Amino acid sequence: MNKLIITVLGKDRPGIISLVTNHLYELECNLENVNQMILQNEFAGFFVVEAPATLPLETLQKQMNEEFKDSGLVIHCNEVETNGQKDEFLKGETFLMTTIGPDQKGLVARFSKIIARYHVNIENLKAVFKGGNDPLGNIMSYQIFITPDVDQKSLFNDLRQKADELNLDIRIQHKNIFEATNKI
Amino acid sequence: MYDDNEILSTIEMVKNENLDVRAVTLGINLFDCISHDLQKFKTNIRSKIVTHAADLVKTCDQVGEKYGIKVVNKRISISPISLVGATFSTPQMVEIAQTLNDIARQVDIDFIGGFSALVEKGIAPGDQALINALPQALFETQRVCASVNVATTRAGINMDAILEMSKAIKKAAALSSDDDGLACAKLCVFSNIPQDMPFMAGAYLGVGVADTVINVGVSGPGVVKRAIERGLEKTPNLTLGKIAEIIKKTACKVTRVGELIGREVAQNLDVRFGIVDLSLAPTPTVGDSIGEIFQALGLTSIGVPGSTAALAMLNDAVKKGGAFASSHVGGLSGAFIPVSEDLNIANAADKGYLTIEKLESMTCVCSVGLDMVPVPGNITEECLAGIIADEMAIGMINNKTTATRLIPVPGKKAGDKVYFGGLLGEARIMNVAHATLTDSFVKYGGRIPAPIHSMKN
Repeated sequence: MNKLIITVLGKDRPGIISLVTNHLYELECNLENVNQMILQNEFAGFFVVEAPATLPLETLQKQMNEEFKDSGLVIHCNEVETNGQKDEFLKGETFLMTTIGPDQKGLVARFSKIIARYHVNIENLKAVFKGGNDPLGNIMSYQIFITPDVDQKSLFNDLRQKADELNLDIRIQHKNIFEATNKI
Repeated sequence: MYDDNEILSTIEMVKNENLDVRAVTLGINLFDCISHDLQKFKTNIRSKIVTHAADLVKTCDQVGEKYGIKVVNKRISISPISLVGATFSTPQMVEIAQTLNDIARQVDIDFIGGFSALVEKGIAPGDQALINALPQALFETQRVCASVNVATTRAGINMDAILEMSKAIKKAAALSSDDDGLACAKLCVFSNIPQDMPFMAGAYLGVGVADTVINVGVSGPGVVKRAIERGLEKTPNLTLGKIAEIIKKTACKVTRVGELIGREVAQNLDVRFGIVDLSLAPTPTVGDSIGEIFQALGLTSIGVPGSTAALAMLNDAVKKGGAFASSHVGGLSGAFIPVSEDLNIANAADKGYLTIEKLESMTCVCSVGLDMVPVPGNITEECLAGIIADEMAIGMINNKTTATRLIPVPGKKAGDKVYFGGLLGEARIMNVAHATLTDSFVKYGGRIPAPIHSMKN
């Protein structure tokens, strides 16, 4: 087993996924997971592959650097820890914390600090700050996973207090309410 | 992860459109509390209700907090007292009501429903004792709700019972004259009463239902209104078919919220989940009104020509959306048009757009009936009974639930203002044409036979 993760960063443009995956195919790597996102105009892609035993990490990194040296893309390869994989059956519940309100420096830093203090994992985070009065333009949305050992009440209180201080409207709701109202 | 718009639309529903769960009602069967000894009976019902309902309010609040959706009212419905207390006299029935009031206070719920009788085909001694006890019982208690079913499609209309109820309503109003006849706001007269309804004042636990059960009443008139407005802002020339589709989809969302909360409360209390009642229930808050939906639909006010058609469409779309969202739909399931409880409807009556006759015709196409309608205090028993009989006939013939919650306000006349407070709201007294007639029709008594379509077997 030779599981590797390849991170690709660069200015977004058509053809990045094709370039990377075709080269991985030539190297006989089997794709297991791919995810990509575009933030403003920057592309970030993550490729988890199973590489043949004859292709160690260093060789792959070298090959990729060589192949993409003029592409403007930054490629980083790393090993995936297979025994430290996330426990799919970890007990807990997912909540969505959404804040809407004026942009200020350090918003994500301040909220994530509180969440980290409770050893709670942020499973997904989206934040947009454009200023102005459009709620869609100034919104943070954290998907957090709360395990039974977390003092949920105290965490929520701390988050609400912080939002009050910063004059933000905050909602913390179990994810199922979004399922109920949006997914059929 | 959810789409930004999905997150925001859900937040918007709660924050600005008054989406909440209007009522979580715990039904408790009292048949195993029966005793001929009044003290024993009272001890038994207290013990059973308190055991099952001790954590009701706390659990509803916790679940509401978890999902960010408020459970506004926590309530209890019980087996009809006329059945479980059939051996008791009228003064003893009043005592039972006081005990129920006390229990409601003890478990911190706002209403307990089931001080009820089912008399569509005849009045048994327990029913008579309860009906006679109604004025005193409702005057002396604050949290007890009463309902009497006087008609069904299968049985016809018990006109004797209607006249009895008319007298009871007048007496209850007279006793509570200092509060504009408030006692009557806790009393409904029904045709085809549902046995699983979570809403007051008509909630009781039917005899064919489990020992304990959670029934949920959703809300959401504000959400429906905004959805229609948004649809029309986006596409001003929407056809009514498209608007009905918007209402249907919105009702589906609202119902799913109710079912989610209800099921979790039931699970946490280790009680069976019963039904979701799809009724759009308004409050006197602006933005939480059924009346405003009519205006969103392009009518000057609820009550003007077109209102019955609009209500028919609204009610049907709500049912279709709700039925898709939940497999267990029950109760009344339709739009409520309670006059004093909905500021916009009260204003429509005030301005003359909505009359009691139009209100009655609108009840042909929605649930409930003449709900929270203040009428002049000098209305005769015969006229009041006539209004009730008309409403019951609509329910009987159309195979649907209808009810009346009429308040003859002592010492006041049409146009005078009455104030009930809280969710019961305020309104002006509606004009009732011929309120002082003493026609003999209702006094002939007996039963109006069941309609031909009752013979389905």
